[in-house]
Formats: sequence, structure tokens, C-alpha cells
Amino acid sequence: MQDFVSKVKNNEIDIVEHTHKVIEECKKINRDYNYFNVISDTLALEQAKNIKKNLKNLKNKKLLGVFVSVKDNICVKGVESTAGSKILKGYKPLFNATAVQNAIDQGAIIIGKTAQDEFGFGTFSVNVGVDFKVPKNPFDKNRSTGGSSGGAAGITQKLSNHIALGESTGGSTAAPASFCGVFGLTPTYGLVSRYGLIDYANSLDKISTLGKTMEDASLLLDSISGYDEKDSTSLDVKNNPNKPVKRIGIIKEAFGKGVDKEIEKNVYNGISKLKENGIKTEEVSLKLPMKYGIEAYYLIAVAETSTNLSKLCGMRYGMHEKLEGNFNEYFTKVRSSNFGQEAKRRIILGTFARMVGYRDAFYMKAMKVRTLIIEEYKKLFKKYDALVSPTLPILPPKFSEIEKLSPLQNYMADIMTVSPNLAGLPHLSVPVGFSDKLPVGMLLTADHLQENKLVEIGKIYD
Amino acid sequence: MTKQIMIGLEVHVELNTKTKLFCSCPTKGNEEPNSRTCEVCLGHPGSKPVLNKKAVEFALKLCLALNCKINPELIFSRKSYFYPDMAKNYQITQYDIPLGKKGKLNLSSGKEIGITRVHMEEDPASLVHPGGMQQSSYVLVDYNRSGNPLVEIVTEPELSNAADARDFMKNLITILTYLEIFDENNNIIKADANISIKESGFVKAEVKNITGFKEIERALNYEIERQKKEVKEGKKLHQETRAWDSEKGLSFSLRKKETEEDYGYIIDPDLVSTEITKEFIEKTKQDMPELAQDKVKKFISLHKISKEDAFVLSQEKLLADLFEKVAEEINPTLAARWLRKELMRVVNYNKKSLNDLEIDESHLIGLLRLVENKKITDNVASKILEKLIEKPFDVNAFVKKENLGAVSDVKELKKYCEEAIKENPQAVEDYKNGEKKALHFLVGQVMRVTKGKATPKEVNEIILKLVK
Repeated sequence: MQDFVSKVKNNEIDIVEHTHKVIEECKKINRDYNYFNVISDTLALEQAKNIKKNLKNLKNKKLLGVFVSVKDNICVKGVESTAGSKILKGYKPLFNATAVQNAIDQGAIIIGKTAQDEFGFGTFSVNVGVDFKVPKNPFDKNRSTGGSSGGAAGITQKLSNHIALGESTGGSTAAPASFCGVFGLTPTYGLVSRYGLIDYANSLDKISTLGKTMEDASLLLDSISGYDEKDSTSLDVKNNPNKPVKRIGIIKEAFGKGVDKEIEKNVYNGISKLKENGIKTEEVSLKLPMKYGIEAYYLIAVAETSTNLSKLCGMRYGMHEKLEGNFNEYFTKVRSSNFGQEAKRRIILGTFARMVGYRDAFYMKAMKVRTLIIEEYKKLFKKYDALVSPTLPILPPKFSEIEKLSPLQNYMADIMTVSPNLAGLPHLSVPVGFSDKLPVGMLLTADHLQENKLVEIGKIYD
Repeated sequence: MTKQIMIGLEVHVELNTKTKLFCSCPTKGNEEPNSRTCEVCLGHPGSKPVLNKKAVEFALKLCLALNCKINPELIFSRKSYFYPDMAKNYQITQYDIPLGKKGKLNLSSGKEIGITRVHMEEDPASLVHPGGMQQSSYVLVDYNRSGNPLVEIVTEPELSNAADARDFMKNLITILTYLEIFDENNNIIKADANISIKESGFVKAEVKNITGFKEIERALNYEIERQKKEVKEGKKLHQETRAWDSEKGLSFSLRKKETEEDYGYIIDPDLVSTEITKEFIEKTKQDMPELAQDKVKKFISLHKISKEDAFVLSQEKLLADLFEKVAEEINPTLAARWLRKELMRVVNYNKKSLNDLEIDESHLIGLLRLVENKKITDNVASKILEKLIEKPFDVNAFVKKENLGAVSDVKELKKYCEEAIKENPQAVEDYKNGEKKALHFLVGQVMRVTKGKATPKEVNEIILKLVK
């Protein structure tokens, strides 16, 4: 990427012409793979022209001319941003998400809004909103890209000189990165401002980056992170300076029963590379997160999301219907016809979990489990620089296979990824190999604000 | 004595901050509907709330003034329900851990009313029902108010009649005004009242949306009478929510309350808890002005004025402040009498409020010094005060120019009196025949001739002597 950026800076590439070409390429890819909900060609060309005109003043921009795709749930001013939901059709934000603005300020060109499970509700990008298209795996069109940042991961695999802005709530970056064979870097909760991120579960949502290389994903993260007064949960700290990675724990509960043998094989290959680089590895146990992570995660996520989605009722923005009946009847009509099935499921589950009498048994208990999970991680990070496991227990499934999964089986695919997300820990999926032409990802988790350690490890696989 | 009536209030007070509770939109200004809005107070997807620290300071001041126990953390929750005035279909408010609890407020009678809790929350948008709430087939929404900072004050059900409730509201407004966190002319204060009577076995009705302290007395009296009447007619009362219609002077049932509504509260994950440190509390305490009750004590002990004068003067901060300044120069008893009676009479007559006054203490000191030194009569002073309220001027210069100085020279006065007696022999005759009114007539003649510059008492005495 550095090479491309310097060519743009030195005017060796005509960025406007190049943008035209990239737009055409994206359109072509999209016809086959459905990675974009919107290709923002007007905005991209405007930005390219601006770069060309002001080239002299932009020499210090880290992302000059780099194409950045934006997950559909991150607001881009004036570009339809629906979070993959029909209920937000027509919503053109009045503002840029802080992460998007930061990328633009570093010279990035915003190429479009990428496909996702509706509001992030899924692991396979098949829970897209009503009338939306399902993105297809870049290695096999009959298979899933993973989700919910499926479009982001797919286009990252297919398109050069591009980095993706994704988002993770319970594994929505690591999972598609793994299935599409790219690097997916989810930072510490609060490192990147959530301002302009359309909420799924506010206490879990993190804007992330996906790149073909570790360097790409890290470059974009550096450009977008930092304190933002518009997000109360934003952290007023820098991620820690480089410290050498010496010791990595292998999570023993993440191997064996329920894990595809091909995945185990590839991940062990990946681990052996760590050893080759002088990093000590040893088995560790991560009992509570592996046992209760899924339950705690889904309870908290659905409780929060059921309040977040309340505002979507066809009154102020997005889809409108014919005004009939009283407000309750109208809201019901809009929400019934424009939310997808999984969204409805999570609204109902979440509303239930918040009810008097159930709130303590479910939601409050889940919050306590979350605290215990963080504590268990923190203990391990006293001794280990990072923890390693497969990203997902399965290879990218065929769409026909996903159809057969029950909701609970669906949720279980997140077993490795939910706990780092629940604990707000930075984590990274690195591509470690292929099983019969399908990519395999390995998940690395580090302590809060230790993104640099993950990047250092990730570079081994560049 | 067992209680006959139980009344508890939930009072919503709009705080007088410049900006809204979670965004930087102005709370006042352009009245054009939906002009003072942004993505945050409109609840646009992607926007996030950021807490207004000034509003926290204001709410903390109120908690301290009401002697509340302060929670060390400020935590906001989402209260979920669908309604067209809600930008997000949840309200950011405080749930089980309010900022302040277990406080108290003293009524004018000295009776102590327990404050259950004081919490902060955002105001919803305002709904406009063209043609009236019950008639209109549609509603218009104005988000200018959406996100304005409110505090809610919940009392124990310890008020025992409508007058008490009115007095509670009046005293609360006094505190709010003293703290300068509320502007009576521009901010809204609204109450929901829970009322129950012994005759029904204390079946609660909640009357919503009563604006201002005068209305609360009306609404409660109406509701008490209604409940008594229904019980007398043999009807069984149900727990219900009612709305107060101040124009018609009646309340109507909104819904029967079978169960408590379930608002599915969760802590708002977009906001972090704010620490209310001891230092912050101490600093806020130091910034707090003397409150009305402190002023009463001070006026009595320091200025030696009557308890009644002290109480009346303290009810309005502006009046109390003005009194303190004037009393430094003028006899406090004289100052108290003039401020609470004459000044307020003239202000009220002109349909003004103390906020509108263009005069300051210097005008009052100038005027009252002349009164104190008997340079002008009360009568003349009142007339000057009336003019001063219209437009301030130099009192001394005015008195000189208009020749309004009091006629206090006994010789001169006697001359006027003798003239009056001479010109009105019939009145003198009548008085001698026992008609006391005739004396008033003669005094009046002197007052007319001297244009009020004489003191009636003195004239009275002189005439009495002359006619004897």
C-alpha cells in the first residue's frame, strides 16, 4: 500500500482516471458477488478530483488515494446508509461517522457501502434485510462470506489498493475475514469512535478494519483511532507502544470436539510459525468465556439492540408507509413489513430479556458474567501477550447448509469470537492456510490497547 | 388523627441551561418548529448523546438545596415506550439510582415534606394537536424541545390538601429561582399528582400535566371533590391516570391502571457513568447562593424586621437582593415596608415582574432617603415610584424641579389650614356639630392645595387645634 500511496503522491498514477477504473471494477465484481449495497461513484470521483487538484498540499496524508469501502452500518454523509435494512432505505446521513471523516482527512477515497447481515445480526451475511442481496464467498460463489461484515471481507479479497472499514459486535469482523482469507483487525472497545455507527449493541460495537495484508489493516486503524468528544465511550488514550511478543497461550477448549479437523490442522500450522519466530507457546484454559460467552453475549446484545431499533418506525427517516390508523398501528405496519426475520427475532428476545421479573434473571446476570469473563482474560494476560484459537470452528459453509441450521446452531458458530468482543479486547483474524481452496483463519486476542502486539504477530503472516 | 387525603407530586422542571442535555442545540431561541435540532435530538441513526455538564451542576444544586443524599455516580437508563413525541422511542432518564434521594422541603407552615428522589432526564418533543387533543385526527411534532434538560422531583405522599400542594410548588419555585437554574418566565414547570382519599380506601388517581402552582390547587381541588362525589354516589374508584384540562377546569380519564407499565429499563450503553466526586459537591456547595430560608433568618436577626416582612421579602430572590442593598442605607423597617408593599403594588399594577425593572437600588435608596428624612411625604413618594417604574430618573432632581418637597414648616402649613377653614365655614360648622367626615374634607382641601406635599397626620392635628 505504501508503494501505491507514494505513486499517487508523486503523480505517477492519475488518481481520477484510476478511480474511474476502480468504480467500473467494483461494479463488475458486484454483479457476481453482491459486495456493495451502494457504490458511491459520485463521492469517490469528487474526492479523487480533489486529490488531483490539491496534490501538493496532501503529501503527508497516510491514505492518499487509497480506496476505502465502508460497512453499510457506518454513516457516510449524503450516501444512503441502511445497515443492510429495508427500514432505513433512503436514509442519507447528515454527517460522516468520525472514523469515515478521519479516513477522508487522511486522503482516502470512499468507494461504497458494503453488504452485511441486517444491523449486523448474523455470522454468515445471509440475514440481509428484505430485498437485499446476499454477498458470495470470493473463493466459491455457493458459499458464505461470513458475517456480518461479509461485503467488506469479500471486496477486500477481490480489490487492490483498498482497505475496508468493518464493524464487530460479536465477531462480525473476524468471521468474514477468516472465510474470505483476509486480515480482520478489531480494536479495543472505545479506541475508534462509534460516532456515526448505526447501533447494534452499543456496549459491544467496534469499528474495525479489514486488509489484504496486516500492514493495510493496521494503516487504516492508525488513521481512524483516537478520542472523540462526540462519543462518550471513546477512550482518551493511545494504544500502547510496541512491546515484543514473547509468549502466547493456546486456548485448549477451542480445539477438539466440534472443530473441523482441517481447521485444526491449518491453525496448528499457523502456531508453528509463531514458534519459528521465537515466540513461546503453551496450552491455557479459558473456561468461563468458552462456556458462557455465547449466552452472555446474546442476552446483552439483544437487550441493547431491542432498544436501539425502537427509533426505526417510519416517522423521521427511512421507509415510510401510507399514514393510516393511530401511531401504534402505523409503527407496527412499518416495522412488520420492513424488518427482516432475524431482526424481529432479536427485538422480541431483547424485549423479553428486559422485562420486569426477567431482567435480573437474564440481562443483569449476563452483565455479571461479562465482568467475570473479563477478569479471567485479565489473569491470562498477566502471563501471555496473546491468546490463540481458530477463528471459526467450521469452513465457509454452502448456503444450502446454512439453511438447515437452527438459530442456536447459527449462534454457536460464534463460540471463538464472542468472548473477546464481550470483553472489549482487541482481536485479529489472520489467514493461515487453505483447506481444499477454502481459507482458514486463526484468531489472536490481546489485552486491552495491545493492538500493536497483534499487528506484530500478524506481520509474520503477511 | 388519621389522614383524610394523601397527595404526592412528581414535578418536572426544565433547567435553564443554554444547550440541551445531550447535544449542543440551544434550549431557547428560534421558535420556528424543528429549527433547533440536530441528529442527536432527532435520534438519527449513528448519532450519540454526550452529557451536558452544566445540567449536572444545576441538578446537583437542587439536590443539595433539598438536602438530598447524593449518589456518587450519575447513571442514565433507557426508558422504552413507543410514542410519537419520542425521538428514539426511548427516553434517556434515571431509573433505580437517581442523582439525589431522601431529601426534604419545608412548607411555609414549617411542615416538612419528604423528597423521595430527584433525577435528571431529557424532555420529549412537543406534540401539537390542531383543534384540540380529543378532536384532532392528526398530530404535529416539534423537536425544538426534544432533549431539553429536566429534573424530576418526586415527593412522599405527605401533602394533605390542595393548598399544601400549591405551597409546595411555590416554595420549590422559590428555591429553583434562587439557585438560578430555572427561569420562571421561560422554563416550564409541570406536575403529575397522585391523589387518594380516605373514603375510597385511598385508591390512587394520577392526574397528569398540571402546569404551574396556581393550576395545581385548582386541579387538586377538582379531583378531591370528584373522588368524594363518586364515593358518595356509591361508585367504586379504580386506579387510573387522568389528564388535567386547564381551559375547561376539569380532568378526564386517560386509562385505567391495571398493572404498572413495564418500560424495560436498561442502563444506556452510549453513556458512561459520571462520577459525582466529593470535590465536585463541595465546589457546587460553595457556588450556591443563600436560599430563601437563610434570608428569612438573616433579615430577622440582622435587620430586625418582622418575621412576616422577612418571609415575604425572601420569596423572590430579586426582591430579597434589592432589600439587602437598600437596607444598607435606609432604615430596614422602612425599606421592608416600602419594598414589599409599595414597590410590589406598583409592579403588579403595571403588570410587570421584578425581572422587567429598569430601576435599581440607587433609585430606591434615593427615594426612601427623602422619605426617611421627611423631605417628601409618603403620598408623593408613591407617585414618584409609579413614575420611576415607567422610566428611571434622578429622584432628587425630579423633586426639586417639580417642587415636590414636603411642606413641613408648621407656620406655612398653618397658613394653608387657616385658608381652608376660612373658605369652608359650612364644613367647620358641620364638624362642630359632630360630623367627623367634615374634618376629613378639610384635611383633603389642604392636601389638594399642597399637592400632597403635606403629611395628612400633621394637617389633621393643626386643623383640630384651629377649630377647637
